[in-house]
Amino acid sequence: MDIARVIERGLRKAELLGVSEAEVFIVKEISTSILGTVKGLENIECGEIVTSSIRLAIGKRVAIQSSVLSKEEDIDKIVEYTIKIAKVASEDNNWVSLPKTLGKTPICDIVDGRIKEPNLDMFIDFVKKGLEEPKEIDRRVYTSMAGTSLSYTVKAIGNTSHSPMVSEKTMFSYRVMVKAIGDGEETGYYNYYIAPTLNEFRLDKVIEDAVKISIASLKARSIETGNYQILFTPRVFASLLTSLIVPAVRADMVIKNRSPLKNKLYSNVLSESLTIIDDGAAPNMPSSSEFDDEGIATTRKIVFDRGVLVTYLYDTYTANIEGKTSTGNARRTSYMVYPDATNIIVLPGTESIDSIAKDIRRGVVVYGTIGEWLSNPVSGYLNATVTNGVYIENGEEKHAVKSIVVSGNIYEVLSKELTTISKEYECIGSAMVPSILVEKVSVAGK
Amino acid sequence: MTVDIDFGRSVVDKVLEKGVDDIIVRLQERLYELIVFDNGVLRSYNISRDSGVGIRVFVEGSMGYSYTSSLDKESIFIAIERAISSAKSLKRHGISKNLYSCRGSKGIYRVSTKINPMDVDPEKKIALIKELNVETMRRNRIASAVTRYGCEIDKRVVVTSYGSEVYVEVTAIGISHMAVAKSGNTMERIQEQKTFIGGFEYVNSFDWIRFIEEINELAIKASQAKTPPPGVYTAIIDNKLIGLLLHEALGHAAEGDIVISRESILKDRVGERIASEKVNIVDDGLVDGGYPVPYDDEGIEKSRTIVVSDGILRHFLNSRYTAVELNQGLTGNARAQNITFDTIVRQTNFYMLPGEARVEELFEGISLGFYLLGMGAMGGQVDPSVGTFTFSVGPSYLVKNGEPSELVRGTVVSGNILETLKEVDLVAKDLSITTSVFGGCGKNGQMVRVGTGGPHTRVKRIVVGGV
Repeated sequence: MDIARVIERGLRKAELLGVSEAEVFIVKEISTSILGTVKGLENIECGEIVTSSIRLAIGKRVAIQSSVLSKEEDIDKIVEYTIKIAKVASEDNNWVSLPKTLGKTPICDIVDGRIKEPNLDMFIDFVKKGLEEPKEIDRRVYTSMAGTSLSYTVKAIGNTSHSPMVSEKTMFSYRVMVKAIGDGEETGYYNYYIAPTLNEFRLDKVIEDAVKISIASLKARSIETGNYQILFTPRVFASLLTSLIVPAVRADMVIKNRSPLKNKLYSNVLSESLTIIDDGAAPNMPSSSEFDDEGIATTRKIVFDRGVLVTYLYDTYTANIEGKTSTGNARRTSYMVYPDATNIIVLPGTESIDSIAKDIRRGVVVYGTIGEWLSNPVSGYLNATVTNGVYIENGEEKHAVKSIVVSGNIYEVLSKELTTISKEYECIGSAMVPSILVEKVSVAGK
Repeated sequence: MTVDIDFGRSVVDKVLEKGVDDIIVRLQERLYELIVFDNGVLRSYNISRDSGVGIRVFVEGSMGYSYTSSLDKESIFIAIERAISSAKSLKRHGISKNLYSCRGSKGIYRVSTKINPMDVDPEKKIALIKELNVETMRRNRIASAVTRYGCEIDKRVVVTSYGSEVYVEVTAIGISHMAVAKSGNTMERIQEQKTFIGGFEYVNSFDWIRFIEEINELAIKASQAKTPPPGVYTAIIDNKLIGLLLHEALGHAAEGDIVISRESILKDRVGERIASEKVNIVDDGLVDGGYPVPYDDEGIEKSRTIVVSDGILRHFLNSRYTAVELNQGLTGNARAQNITFDTIVRQTNFYMLPGEARVEELFEGISLGFYLLGMGAMGGQVDPSVGTFTFSVGPSYLVKNGEPSELVRGTVVSGNILETLKEVDLVAKDLSITTSVFGGCGKNGQMVRVGTGGPHTRVKRIVVGGV
């Protein structure tokens, strides 16, 4: 299926039927995944799917429809149906227009030929190594799951002001779950890697880190309820940012009174040691793309400059409401377009992680949590259960911890309680972040 | 394409010509209608349509799966070749498995609807959701509100080389509402939904004004409430929350694929006590209030599975593969979100059976504890390998001297599921099960509809976290 041709067809159909504006977005994805468990290689899944999303306006009546495409002609019916819905929709007084100017930002390292046309045996070997190597590194561990997924995506967008643009991208992900057994107890650590290319993929490191942390989590016990210093490792810090800060800087959340950062533009919100960037065009990062989901060229922008909130994240709709320009952050779901973060980058500090850990008087190094995504971005309250962590006293590791819940107001955690940012950083999915030491966090334990 | 058994059978026949041992062909056509009003404005009116075919083949002990949304002959031919080629790739690496030999089910299950939701005038639906949303925005202290109408018509066909020929069509319909209230500098949000299995007649007959009023009131009260003092407490868990907790913390650990990959705390524990003797838990494909799963996506009938009885672990949830590995029977729990995924083991309606206590009895004798509620709960997560769970519960009540007292917000509970289930000392006789057309259970990137619930349950000790 020629997706640019389908877009032209959809736009022509919409114009013929008299709409004010129309936009057609199509994604074709070819994917493969390979799964292995403790039982060995399990299966291979692969396939191809073409999805379409149409947004059109009749005056200020706007409708969005999405559908899987089985054949090119399907687009005609989807256009007709979208028009039918737009006609019954009430007017959206905030609606101005679809984007008038589409464009692309050239990006390095978002297509890898080894993923686009995969040699399955190479990726099967990755999974086999994930299954076999951990137990060779340490006899106390085994792999319960290892898997890899590859996809090649072609996305295209056009609207009634601009002819279709096409962009391609590959994506590779690798995941491994390593278990450690000691004294009849079992712990585990789930490690993963995701990027558009294989260029920076280090299979050995993914496996070694999983083994190391699963072993460190053995003999875990709870600690007394109270306040502790907490060292959030990059993976956990990234998750906190995604769960609590990103929703609060989305312009739609701000406009709809669902963000604690409303009216906080140009205010000191976070510690002055924190600079946070959203970069939709970073090389070899998962959320990079030449254009966003409404065809605006992606950009790099500072969101928090030394703790000061300097911009929200906009798509065209929210930018028009606030008299701004889109920041290239439009994301599409099956039923809406909204602004969202792309890749989050936190500038590192100057202290080494070892020296930070030595400064901990009474605290926990947190390697893994569950449930942090259940935190409340509307109120800013953080809640996370620690699954992998180590209790530290006077700079010395004492024992692994379990069954503790860390809680706090994220804006206090990342401002007055934030003491140090590490110079080391890691790429964790769509985030490139350092570790942070927080002085006082509430911990529910024994 | 027509989603029917004849089409499925024709694809199975094509694959059989390739000399494949075991074949599953799945067809799906899904329609999802969603209306979203956000702060008084129609944000979206969307009808999405998905369709396609998925083909799983089993070649001399190796499995391959392929799918396509393009349903022309050439695309289906390519999908068949890819599935076979994938299986052969694994075969070269020495993979050999066994699948449970059985005779597949034949049957048709269709949820009856008096009023087909797609026949209802879109303007009528828009007017209802607009009214609920606009009414909310008129309330003092409500800063923001999102109200959604959702309807799903999911048609699935499974035809297999071992005789399955099943057609399942489920219509689910509901409304969800989120209110954000602000008191001083504190903002709290409450999200709740109500789903029916059936047609628009259920929307017509339900009191939606009262439904949103309860949510709005709770959001306002929660925004004025304190956060709970962290610690370990006795807690009464309501119908909704016990269902969510069991689904996450025990249900996933009971899934056969998790067990055989040694990721489950329940592995090797069949026949062992894992909970107090008051605890009985089942997974049932068809139950009032739940999401109907009469057959799974391997074309196997989904019967009631007794997972725990009298506190003893009895059975896992199985697919054809895990049943062989675990040396157990089939339970009909192989499910897939849609044709872009092969099946994995999933729960259907996983819930605790009722006990004999009155709800009031559960409060008796508690000097300081919690009444933990599911309404407004944001969900939970579990590490099934060690049984650690965490749950963000809805606004809940402190219990003082046997009575619910003040409301608290931002409450999180955490613990180990086996330790927590052993702390169950009273189970009420009030059973309630619900499902949702707005969400479901996520696993390995797949979302499926499920039902959850149970009776009010008392736990002697549970970790409560708060700010």
